[in-house]
Amino acid sequence: MPGLALAGFRIVECGDMVAASYAAKLMADMGAEVIKIEDPNGGDTARQRGPFPGKVPHPEKSGLFLYLNTNKRGITLNLEDRRGQEIFQRLLTQTDLLIHNIHPTRMPALGLDYERLAPLNPGLVMTSITPFGLSGPQKDYQATDLTLWNAGGLCYLNGAGVGGEHLPPLKAFGQQAGFQAGVHAAVASLGALFARFSNSLGQHIDFSIQECLMSISEFAGIMPAYANQVVVRFTGNKAIRPLDIMECKDGWIYLCCVEEHQWQGFVDIMGNPEWAAEPLFATRLDRAENWDALQLFLEPWVKEQSVEELYHKAQARRIPFAPVSTMGDLLNSEHLKARGFFAEITHPVAGTFSFPTAPHQCSATPWTLRRPAPCLGQHNAEVYGGLGLAARQIEQLRQEGVV
Amino acid sequence: MSKPPLDGIRVADFCWAWAGPYGALQLAHLGAEVIRIESTTRMCPSRQIPPWAENERGINRAGYFNQYNQGKRSMTLDLKKPEGIALAKQLVTKSDIAIENFAAGVMDKMGLGYEVLRGLKPDIIMISLSGYGASGPEKSYVSYGPPQVALSGMSSLTGYYGGPPMQAGFSYGDPNGGVHGTFAVMCALLHRAKTGEGQYIDLSQREACAMLLPEALMEYTMNGTQPPRMGNRDPYMAPHGVFCCQGKDRWVSIAVRNDEEWQRMCTVMGHTELAVDPRFTVLAVRKENEDTLEEIITAWTQERSADEVTRSLQQVGIAAYPSLDGKDMLANPQVAVRGFFVELEHPEVGKRPHLGIPWKMSRTPCEISRPAPGLGQDTDYVLSDILGLSREDIASLRAKEVLV
Repeated sequence: MPGLALAGFRIVECGDMVAASYAAKLMADMGAEVIKIEDPNGGDTARQRGPFPGKVPHPEKSGLFLYLNTNKRGITLNLEDRRGQEIFQRLLTQTDLLIHNIHPTRMPALGLDYERLAPLNPGLVMTSITPFGLSGPQKDYQATDLTLWNAGGLCYLNGAGVGGEHLPPLKAFGQQAGFQAGVHAAVASLGALFARFSNSLGQHIDFSIQECLMSISEFAGIMPAYANQVVVRFTGNKAIRPLDIMECKDGWIYLCCVEEHQWQGFVDIMGNPEWAAEPLFATRLDRAENWDALQLFLEPWVKEQSVEELYHKAQARRIPFAPVSTMGDLLNSEHLKARGFFAEITHPVAGTFSFPTAPHQCSATPWTLRRPAPCLGQHNAEVYGGLGLAARQIEQLRQEGVV
Repeated sequence: MSKPPLDGIRVADFCWAWAGPYGALQLAHLGAEVIRIESTTRMCPSRQIPPWAENERGINRAGYFNQYNQGKRSMTLDLKKPEGIALAKQLVTKSDIAIENFAAGVMDKMGLGYEVLRGLKPDIIMISLSGYGASGPEKSYVSYGPPQVALSGMSSLTGYYGGPPMQAGFSYGDPNGGVHGTFAVMCALLHRAKTGEGQYIDLSQREACAMLLPEALMEYTMNGTQPPRMGNRDPYMAPHGVFCCQGKDRWVSIAVRNDEEWQRMCTVMGHTELAVDPRFTVLAVRKENEDTLEEIITAWTQERSADEVTRSLQQVGIAAYPSLDGKDMLANPQVAVRGFFVELEHPEVGKRPHLGIPWKMSRTPCEISRPAPGLGQDTDYVLSDILGLSREDIASLRAKEVLV
């Protein structure tokens, strides 16, 4: 009988959009009991953002929200209200981890004050995920995923290179700052929960999204300190090539020849054309140096190939080419099917759709689905009842806009 | 002073390159004793790539290695020799976690697969990180970090409007796979603390990257379509982009979240007439006229520095920030005040700034305890202090060239 790794841990999440929601989702998927608190007035912004079935907006049908909130229970609570904060504090007496991504300027008004909460429950771990951390001259700066991707130094690395200097640094798809913050903050939070085994005391974690993104900045953060250089746009500035995306007749492929045998294998697949013997292309460094010329030879040949055929032919020779997968390619991949990466989840309002599950297969405590994402306020009666509130009281709080 | 959260937890780290080392780095950040098992016979690629300190090549001078292996120890062990394998097994029996990112099947071939390790240490937590995962028809396919971003689907979604698919970063799949692996390890540690049970974790870096694409994956499962590449734009915000500023290759990011913020931005730009311009009053029309909108904003930003634009917009509560390059990061006043960069004395490269830990814990502070290790600098410590070998035993292993 497989177990739930985080069974018994009670987590309260005040998450909006991605960062705290993803952290709590990862933990809920591994068995933690997560209660998500949403504002009674519309709830999590992710509910408004979609995608939606048939592209018709509906607060219970956002694909982003449904994905980010699997396995959680959901309540509505107005934390700006004094009675709302009292209920919040009562809930926290039974909580191991409070995780949120409320902006620092709003934390006091919502009662998110660790110094005041800790005496209620000395074992409480509170994780504050904020754009720039809780200290420093810019702690109150406003931010979105895009501006954080720039503040963390990652946007500058991406986009057009030589010849495309007029084009701006390019963000990666979606809400990457939020996802990176979420998974890193989940790691730190579990660390603090683990620390409680030694003396059962909680603590406050001050997590900076900007610093989190800097910490994955690859060469960018290192170059100035080691070589007094700045890394500019990886796409057009590589020491080794091919490490590039190129168009086939039916899609795109990533050509990757890092080792000499990989390049030689690729040349062989191409039928050993004469140009490949040119000294211009002798080593991987030459191939990067003379990429303009090499590209002219490669492009017409690659354009005639099918992605799947070239991919498998290359892999058969241990050349790490990869298709530029579309979403359809992923959902239809035999490999991902065999690994059970996608699972169908039925939601009472939205319907049944395939969702990504988890990137890790844990032999003793696998990913499990216990419930789909909650509807807005779905578990109010259950959770508030558990705190000792009578149905009559809950109804009154509802009428007064507290829940 | 309290000890860090993973004080007393030991990690036998068989990783190399980047994904695994980044995952193990998080464990070191949390205070675990991470012991890298290295060998001159199979040198970690990140010790062999530039930048080198002052451009002088050397296996202990590589910035990449020194950044992503802070706080760890290093022992050298030739795993091609049976004595090397035997010592690796002994270290596993003294460890809580074994982590590796070799190609599929390599650990098994060396006799260090999970079944063997579990036989030696029943509650061991072992994690294997790989591109494709340890099962499925393509499990033996070769995967490097850079193509993983394409393989995961992220490249097909990333790119300029109407342009080709593009990379995100250089090797984004590596740190992302590593940190998702650390998350699974932390879950396994908590499970073991409660039940005494260890386990094996098979992590696919491709899948870890696909976890980051729910808007697109769900659009496909819901509607059978995928979002077009749209550069820096956003369906729910406009303006939303990275705009050219004064100076060479200087840019500022700006995201206006609602109509009211747009009104404020018009005032900041000194263009109050734009606030009532019917082409821009509400999101729907700003999206329709986004090219024109971006031209107007560029005309304003290009006359100013990125810092100036940021300050004036932040003053009225609008999200804006310069697009930082590496030198900007080092000079950034916000992270400087928070002490994010760490400068420890390294025997070969001296003191220089390295990226630190992105969280602060109030009761069990996490800090980088030591600079990245020189190759094999802790071999004697591991053999004598952890494995209890005598000085003679160690000398004999060294004579047989097991410790290389």
